[in-house]
Amino acid sequence: MTYYNNAVITKRELLVRLIKLLDEDTLFEKIDRIPLEMRPRTNSPIRCCVHKDRAVIKYKIMALLGFNIADEQDELTPLSEYAVQAIKGYEQDGNFLTVVDEACSSCVQVNYTVSNLCQGCEGRPCQVNCPKDAIMVLNGKANIDHQKCVNCGICQKACPFHAIAYLPVPCEESCPVKAIRKNANGIEEIDFEKCIHCGKCMTACPFGAISGKSQILNLYYNIKHKQEKTVAMVAPAILSQFKANSSQIINAIKEIGFDEVVEVAEGANLTTDHETQELIERLNEGASFMTTSCCPSYIEFAEKHAPELKPFISDTPSPMGYTAQLARKRFPDHKTVFIGPCLAKRKEAYKNKDVDYVVTTEELGAMFGALKIDVNIKTDSNPDTVVRPESRGYAASGGVTNAIQAILSSEQQIKTELIDGLDKKSIRLLKSLPKKNALGADFYEVMACDGGCINGPVNIAPYKMSQSKLKQAINELKTVESVQ
Amino acid sequence: MQAKTKYKVEICCGTMCYIMGGADLHLLNDYLPAALRQLVSIEGAPCFGNCDTHEKIHPCVRINGVELPNASTRKIVDKLIILENNDLL
Ligand code: FES
Repeated sequence: MTYYNNAVITKRELLVRLIKLLDEDTLFEKIDRIPLEMRPRTNSPIRCCVHKDRAVIKYKIMALLGFNIADEQDELTPLSEYAVQAIKGYEQDGNFLTVVDEACSSCVQVNYTVSNLCQGCEGRPCQVNCPKDAIMVLNGKANIDHQKCVNCGICQKACPFHAIAYLPVPCEESCPVKAIRKNANGIEEIDFEKCIHCGKCMTACPFGAISGKSQILNLYYNIKHKQEKTVAMVAPAILSQFKANSSQIINAIKEIGFDEVVEVAEGANLTTDHETQELIERLNEGASFMTTSCCPSYIEFAEKHAPELKPFISDTPSPMGYTAQLARKRFPDHKTVFIGPCLAKRKEAYKNKDVDYVVTTEELGAMFGALKIDVNIKTDSNPDTVVRPESRGYAASGGVTNAIQAILSSEQQIKTELIDGLDKKSIRLLKSLPKKNALGADFYEVMACDGGCINGPVNIAPYKMSQSKLKQAINELKTVESVQ
Repeated sequence: MQAKTKYKVEICCGTMCYIMGGADLHLLNDYLPAALRQLVSIEGAPCFGNCDTHEKIHPCVRINGVELPNASTRKIVDKLIILENNDLL
């Protein structure tokens, strides 16, 4: 979940500025001014000095343009040069997150610190029990030697005054698969052998030091200059993100310049039908359970951390997969653009030749903002009637299960279980399932984000609002159904 | 008809304000102290027309017609408490 904080707002401001410049055809001339404009001398610096602040902005832009900061060859390369490449489309390497090392404050070198509650007692259990001899008592207060400490936490447990505090590193703490940790210089580094693109580190870092690599400039350049025709594939979660009804949101998306719009919920109709059939078949053949396949972060988790789960994952394509097939068939000379709340979809799209671009909720919002598109404009277009209400429901945890149950006959009822969010605990459970299906469910719905896609890492609306807005988007379809 | 409330909070629902943190302001009601809740009405309003400046002022709200730039739920609640306290003096 993204809490509103200044680092998030900085990212959005950058996106808006970049799109605005692109729209005014002044991107190359003005992009190198952005750090100066956003961090003027007159403001008191956020970090040590204004130059550092500007460098941070520069590298955040570079990441948004799609570059790995680590690949920088020459520090003097201006942003305009990167921008030239970005509008052509950066070369994808299958990894879509990058650490902006300039922004990483290399916070919390050692996870334990002695607070002023330390009484400098005679017993000194912290010192006596430290296996690395890392504690010294100076001036009647214990001190931890950062060179020696290995973060075992024994001192904290041993202290009778609770004087030793645990300091988390937000990104490391949030990562469910231990894919991010400090390098020799104390800067965080992502291990892509492990990363599942869940985006939790990105939302956890209060310095905004972890950035997704965006395709937005490449896409918008092509839309604006009519280089290619595009079809927007709008995930149901998007309909929960603005203070407007779904027809208004879809109209606003068209206004950006997309030639066609399809709802990903249409693909979800097909996912539901096939996945239900597959589930019945598998259970009849004696499988002990099956899990969903629509959450790309979960799929990447299984591939990298739990290959034993793979045989149990449904082979049915995700709603995005089906929608992209439909879109290709209907509009063969268009580029397909998935718009959703998810970082990991970039990875799924990278592996699926039917998806050409991925746009996040934040990027969509930034386009609306930069192009002055008002989402609240009245419209009289009606919702798409091919979409089932349950298909829009995919965006919230429990939605897939609900859609499947809706089409099962009463004698076919199955036992279901929801894995709502990938964390250390649910990962342990998932890994144990192939050996022993302890919960005894036939069907497991797995969502990497707790709450589902409406609580995705790159959303705009707070979770609580997304819930009620999604309900509204589902109900819109129900009223259409009952009218007919 | 609803009785007129003492404080009218208008939240700018224009796109820029919305994406720059305005979305979160719509949960304002959850953060109002109980004593204030009865006195405050919350409404969405179209773009205040502050979008063309280069300054960072989003998101905007109006409290009884007076604009408050760079709003946050915290700031709005503080402002309302000050107004109410001044009034009680
Ligand atoms: S969007 Fe709020 S002032 Fe324009």
